[in-house]
Amino acid sequence: MTEAAGTPGWRDAPARRRNVTMTVNGKPATAPAEDRTLLSDYLRHGLLLTGTHVGCEQGVCGACTVLVDDIPVPSCLMLAVQAEGSSVRTVESLTGDDGDLSGMQRALLESHGLQCGFCTPGLLMSLAHAEEQELTGHEIAEDVLPGHLCRCTGYAGIRAAVERYWAAGGKGKGRHE
Amino acid sequence: MSSANATGNEASGKWIGRALPNSRSSRLLRGQGYYVDDIQAPRTLHAAVVRSPVAHGRILKWDAGEALSETGAKLALGPDEIGRFTEPLPMAWTLPGQNPHHIELAINTVRYVGQPIGVVVADSRAEAEDAAERVRLEIAPLPVAATTEAALAPGAPLLYPENGTNLAGSAELGDTAEEIARVMDEAAHIVTRNLSVQRIAHSPMEPRGVLADWLPHTECLTVWNSTQSPHVVRQDLAVALRLRADQIRVVAPDVGGSFGGKAMLHPDEAMVCLASMRLGRAVRWTEDRRENLTAAYQGRGQSARARLALDAQGRFLTLDAHIVGDLGAFPSQAGSGPFQATGMALEGPYRFVRAGATVDAVYTNAAPTGAYRGYGMQEASWIRERLIDEAARELGLDPVELRLRNSIRPKDLPYTTRSGFTYDSGDYPAALLRAAKMANSRRRVSEGAVSRGSGITMSVELTGYAPTSLLGALGIDAAGWESGKIRVNQDGTVTVFSGVIPVGQGIETALAQIVADRMGVPLSWISVQLGDTAATPYSDLSSQASRSVTLAGGALMLAADRMRGRMRSLAARRLGVDPNDVMWEVEPGNAPTTDTSRYRATDSAQTVSWRDVAHRAWKGWDRNTHEERIQLEETVDFDPPALTFAYGVHGAAVAVNRETGKVTVEDYWTVHDSGNLVNPALAEGQIIGGVAQGIGLALLEEAQHDPVDGKPLAVTLQDYALPRTADVPRITVEHLHTPSEIIPGGFKGLGEGGAIPPPATIAAAIADAVPHIAGSLTHTPMTPFVIWSALDASNTPPDAT
Repeated sequence: MTEAAGTPGWRDAPARRRNVTMTVNGKPATAPAEDRTLLSDYLRHGLLLTGTHVGCEQGVCGACTVLVDDIPVPSCLMLAVQAEGSSVRTVESLTGDDGDLSGMQRALLESHGLQCGFCTPGLLMSLAHAEEQELTGHEIAEDVLPGHLCRCTGYAGIRAAVERYWAAGGKGKGRHE
Repeated sequence: MSSANATGNEASGKWIGRALPNSRSSRLLRGQGYYVDDIQAPRTLHAAVVRSPVAHGRILKWDAGEALSETGAKLALGPDEIGRFTEPLPMAWTLPGQNPHHIELAINTVRYVGQPIGVVVADSRAEAEDAAERVRLEIAPLPVAATTEAALAPGAPLLYPENGTNLAGSAELGDTAEEIARVMDEAAHIVTRNLSVQRIAHSPMEPRGVLADWLPHTECLTVWNSTQSPHVVRQDLAVALRLRADQIRVVAPDVGGSFGGKAMLHPDEAMVCLASMRLGRAVRWTEDRRENLTAAYQGRGQSARARLALDAQGRFLTLDAHIVGDLGAFPSQAGSGPFQATGMALEGPYRFVRAGATVDAVYTNAAPTGAYRGYGMQEASWIRERLIDEAARELGLDPVELRLRNSIRPKDLPYTTRSGFTYDSGDYPAALLRAAKMANSRRRVSEGAVSRGSGITMSVELTGYAPTSLLGALGIDAAGWESGKIRVNQDGTVTVFSGVIPVGQGIETALAQIVADRMGVPLSWISVQLGDTAATPYSDLSSQASRSVTLAGGALMLAADRMRGRMRSLAARRLGVDPNDVMWEVEPGNAPTTDTSRYRATDSAQTVSWRDVAHRAWKGWDRNTHEERIQLEETVDFDPPALTFAYGVHGAAVAVNRETGKVTVEDYWTVHDSGNLVNPALAEGQIIGGVAQGIGLALLEEAQHDPVDGKPLAVTLQDYALPRTADVPRITVEHLHTPSEIIPGGFKGLGEGGAIPPPATIAAAIADAVPHIAGSLTHTPMTPFVIWSALDASNTPPDAT
């Protein structure tokens, strides 16, 4: 075993870090990041918003989805510096100040649309976007749900939750089919 | 409404059987999950694991000099350092004479791509990964045996040359080959097939992870680990790190799926703990997806030559299989267990005159295989049900009728199989007939290039993996009992402790329902504490093998009965009456602290509140004798007399596109019997989730290795195809309820039952849709390429179907 003292490479490293500022969940946020720091790592480890989960770091599983300027983005495929100055929303923004679950969150709860909960935050952000875009339940089934891997539920509860929530008209935004 | 009665039985039955959401779901939906990578510890460093780039080779050099001098790395541990400070990990299930019989942490030979060699620690994960890349490794390549066929071929490269063979060991289960051959002589018909199941990666959404924190001041190691088995992790770490068991605390926080992949401590996790000890700092390692797909233990991976013999009346005479199991580079702690379990589970729900299996476990230059949901039973189902469907096809018999003719009937139960398991209860034919009826109402017609068909299979699921004596007889170094502990606190709240683990299945909610039901108290009074070795009762096997509700639930049923009796006795003493003359009054919405949650003497207006009884008990005030226990806790160790067997019949309807070979599962249904259900919604979640994983195994997933150089071919979730919404149809679950007579509460397990039958069921449906390729449905996954190739090779022109 060898222990390393501070080395030139290590001293250089902090120089590459700089403060990156963006609006996160409606509030200004600043944390140091390297140029190569992923948005997912910036949110999780820089801002300690650990609700955003990293499932594959390859943009495949959907677990890390956040909204950047209202567009769903896999935060593992975006650098924090690319989001500088943007408005980012994460799962932590969905629950009201009173702590009440949102309509979609409650539908997932009541329809058993989650088990281990690791894929859930990313799915919720895609569904939040779908609701804002007034997508139909059919469009969600065709275009939104296929972008999210879930290993626990077999998607039954997720489908049921979307159907239940959209049949009820969402928050008054989702169109009836 | 008050649920009072004077009969001494507060158990009103109102919590068991209710479809409640999992209690932690609200927190998870808010983004307040607490997984290993979410935990903040002061002064945390980050580890990256240095892994083998080749499938077989001798390590000539590990040089971390540049990694340490040119980067900010704090520590690099290579094989020499690891060897100096550790012992190998123990192994729970070994074959006689098996070498190796433990898992080396310090290696001089690499045997699969991704095998951990060492670990590098730095201030951030990115810096640790940078530094890990600058470790200079020199590895002299050795020839590779990437598959069991290659490993068993004459002159094959040997993974352990001192063994003289790649065969790690063998086992025989059930009847001997001679006994089987004698009965087979009378057969009118014999079906023989080579049937195999691919390697798969568990792919939980949350990869593995460790946060290890060695505190030099107290010489204690705290390990947060995404695991199904914290007590065993603690035990294994104590051996590996040369610590006393009581110097280690292992905590499983929220676990983001496991499916068997987090059942065992892996060598890289132990290395991270060692790094924390060497540095006296917290060290975090979070597995990335590539590591999860290639370096972590995998599942399944076996092939069998199997035979089913029938008499002239279509009665099963014998079933036997020669199973070759792919252990990979070294045996995981599960070792050859899954292959042996296949042999034991081969017979399923049918009667045979003779049945048995031989198992050969083989080393290959690929990731070790271990436990995967359905542990050997899925492979058994694949062998047995494919043979039955092929027999029906060859004999021109209806496959449902053939199964019915040979099924174990209710009058046969309890029934002991040729391999020695005693099925306890159920009605297998009733389940079969119900599923067959469901099939009839779901017929779909073929059109154009799409051929449609349906199939049905049966399976039995070994659940409540115990008793301890059975595990001992099987040569497994593991205990089967579970402990349940209930504490009524001074404020009247109730805390429940168990050694099983919530991995998403909702066991914390099911256990709370059981305790609330048996104690007759509101669910909201109960908190369930799981996952922390410092707080929970010891558990060897924990949440594996469909055992949490049966064994932990069974233990808590008994503990709750005792605690209910104890509270009543204490209340009666305070009221100065006989315990039989006390009524228990509680309003559903009551807090445990209100005076209206109380005991009332039936022949007077005297009452004493629940909280007062608890408070006085903890003060030691109402004791009868000095011998009477003070602490208001009840612990029951439950070791059942035998296994309890669940069962199910699965049906699938598929569409086969003959032009592309793509198979779409259009409909899926099950009739399932797991005895009394604690929470039908959670039960259904287990079954449906299991079926979805089975669909992945049947059609999509394969952890393939290059047969020449052993390099893994599925390294991202783009190459490793997991089921998405379009791959999983709506799944109908119907239940029968035959209570287990050996488990308190009549529960049977169900964690794995959904995942076992889908490949055989889907194959049966494909065979029904395109019968001219039925004989080639012998291997999973049945990808479009496989199906198209079979269709292309068949002599029947597609239009003739």
